[in-house]
Amino acid sequence: MNDMRMVEREVDTKEVKISARDCQVYYGDNHAIKDVNVDIEDKTVTAFIGPSGCGKSTFLRCLNRMNDTIDICRVEGQIKLDGEDIYDPAVDPVQLRAKVGMVFQKPNPFPKSIYDNIAYGPRIHGLAKNKADLDVIVEKSLRRGAIWDEVKDRLDKPGTGLSGGQQQRLCIARAVATEPEVLLMDEPCSALDPIATAQVEELIDELRGRYSVVIVTHSMQQAARVSQKTAFFHLGNLVEFGETGQIFTNPQDPRTESYITGRIG
Amino acid sequence: MPDREHIVTSYDRDLETIQAMIMKMGGLVEAAILDSANSLERRDEELAERVRLGDKAIDELEERVNEECARLLALRQPIASDLRTVLTVMKISANLERVGDYAKNLAKRTSVLVQMNPIEGASSAIRRMAKTVEGMMKDALDAYIQRDPELAQDVRMRDHEVDQMYNALFRQFLTYMMEDPRNITACMHLHFIAKNIERMGDHVTSIAEQVIYLSTGEMPEDNRPKGDSTPYETVELD
Ligand SMILES: Nc1ncnc2c1ncn2[C@@H]1O[C@H](COP(=O)(O)OP(=O)(O)OP(=O)(O)O)[C@@H](O)[C@H]1O
Ligand SMILES: [Mg+2]
Repeated sequence: MNDMRMVEREVDTKEVKISARDCQVYYGDNHAIKDVNVDIEDKTVTAFIGPSGCGKSTFLRCLNRMNDTIDICRVEGQIKLDGEDIYDPAVDPVQLRAKVGMVFQKPNPFPKSIYDNIAYGPRIHGLAKNKADLDVIVEKSLRRGAIWDEVKDRLDKPGTGLSGGQQQRLCIARAVATEPEVLLMDEPCSALDPIATAQVEELIDELRGRYSVVIVTHSMQQAARVSQKTAFFHLGNLVEFGETGQIFTNPQDPRTESYITGRIG
Repeated sequence: MPDREHIVTSYDRDLETIQAMIMKMGGLVEAAILDSANSLERRDEELAERVRLGDKAIDELEERVNEECARLLALRQPIASDLRTVLTVMKISANLERVGDYAKNLAKRTSVLVQMNPIEGASSAIRRMAKTVEGMMKDALDAYIQRDPELAQDVRMRDHEVDQMYNALFRQFLTYMMEDPRNITACMHLHFIAKNIERMGDHVTSIAEQVIYLSTGEMPEDNRPKGDSTPYETVELD
């Protein structure tokens, strides 16, 4: 071995799943994302890192048109999923979001039962033929969200009655219930204890066998552990994008180095 | 290497501590190289004894470096250049410890050799060889502190000189042994000494390579001259 790079974790395919070209995002006058070009690969976990307010969540929301829901937000440039422009007027954002699922920074369970929180998506997208099918999907999803054992005896209770960390795992379970092709996760573990965090990381690793996962995280160790690609954002710019092992042993941009090593930058 | 400071200042102190330990070890090892070679040339058993006893301090420092590095890895989880600093400190301290062992071994052989007739010119040649290695060591450690990959590269290139000195001594000892079998014991010891100093040079080279890795993030390409021809050396008996 010629250097001390972390062992490069195997990436099954290098096919591009999502490509962004000259992406700009404005909130009114605030230019929040500047000229971002990036290829997110299929069957790969991509981590977005960077200081608070640098635009990670904003850019993540571009990838499934979540910014459409913010009035003052304007997105320019091109974002393609499997080669098709997701901002094309013919694209139905609801269908898009079934393919590109999302777990938000703040847990947002529906004001419904735990069961219905999970069953909602599969039901409207017709993923279950009957109640028995749906039961199977609900249990499997809650297990993948690492929360089954805690809620299996109270599936009919409201999701909003769970603790913060439990709500977050419920939302993760909800997001995987519809089997999205891409899963966007915005700081999914910030409210989780180390065990639940490890379980979610295990889930992410399992998901990347079939899907593309993009995770925003403030934990450098988490980014290093779960991702194969890392993107560093700074003041709305994508400063550095590369193989995770390389970013964490030998970053090329001094701004990346300062940020990840905890230096005054 | 970023010269910016960490937001958490105790992190900077930890990193400085392990590097200071390396410099302290380096100072002890440099002295051990010179003292052991001088003890041989001057047939100074007392100095040889001091080198032998002094090796304990080097070994202890290496252990402390390992402990501190393990602690730092566990508590701070360093990455990027900080990670490279810790990795290179561990590697360099292992190199220094080995060099210390070779100096100790040289000193032990001094105690044996003073009981025998000196071999003409051998101990001064060995002292010159040791002096060359010590100079390389000094520069390698300077390069480390300065994060100077060019000086480190220079050190790597100089290892060739040490190899050539070793080759010359190897042939010289062969000749002496063929001339007079009574020289064999002394020449065997002297040969081990020369070989050990040549090995010291290899460890110094490895330190220089760590400096290059630390400052550039890449190990150097292997383009330096290789000088040990003794594996192909034959003896012509007439
Ligand atoms: N809904 C919004 N309306 C107006 N401005 C917004 C909105 N959301 C984000 N911004 C602005 O866009 C910029 C980027 O914010 P964003 O939330 O994307 O940062 P972030 O990198 O996710 O930060 P954090 O790590 O704190 O979550 C900030 O200047 C922020 O004030
Ligand atoms: Mg955010």
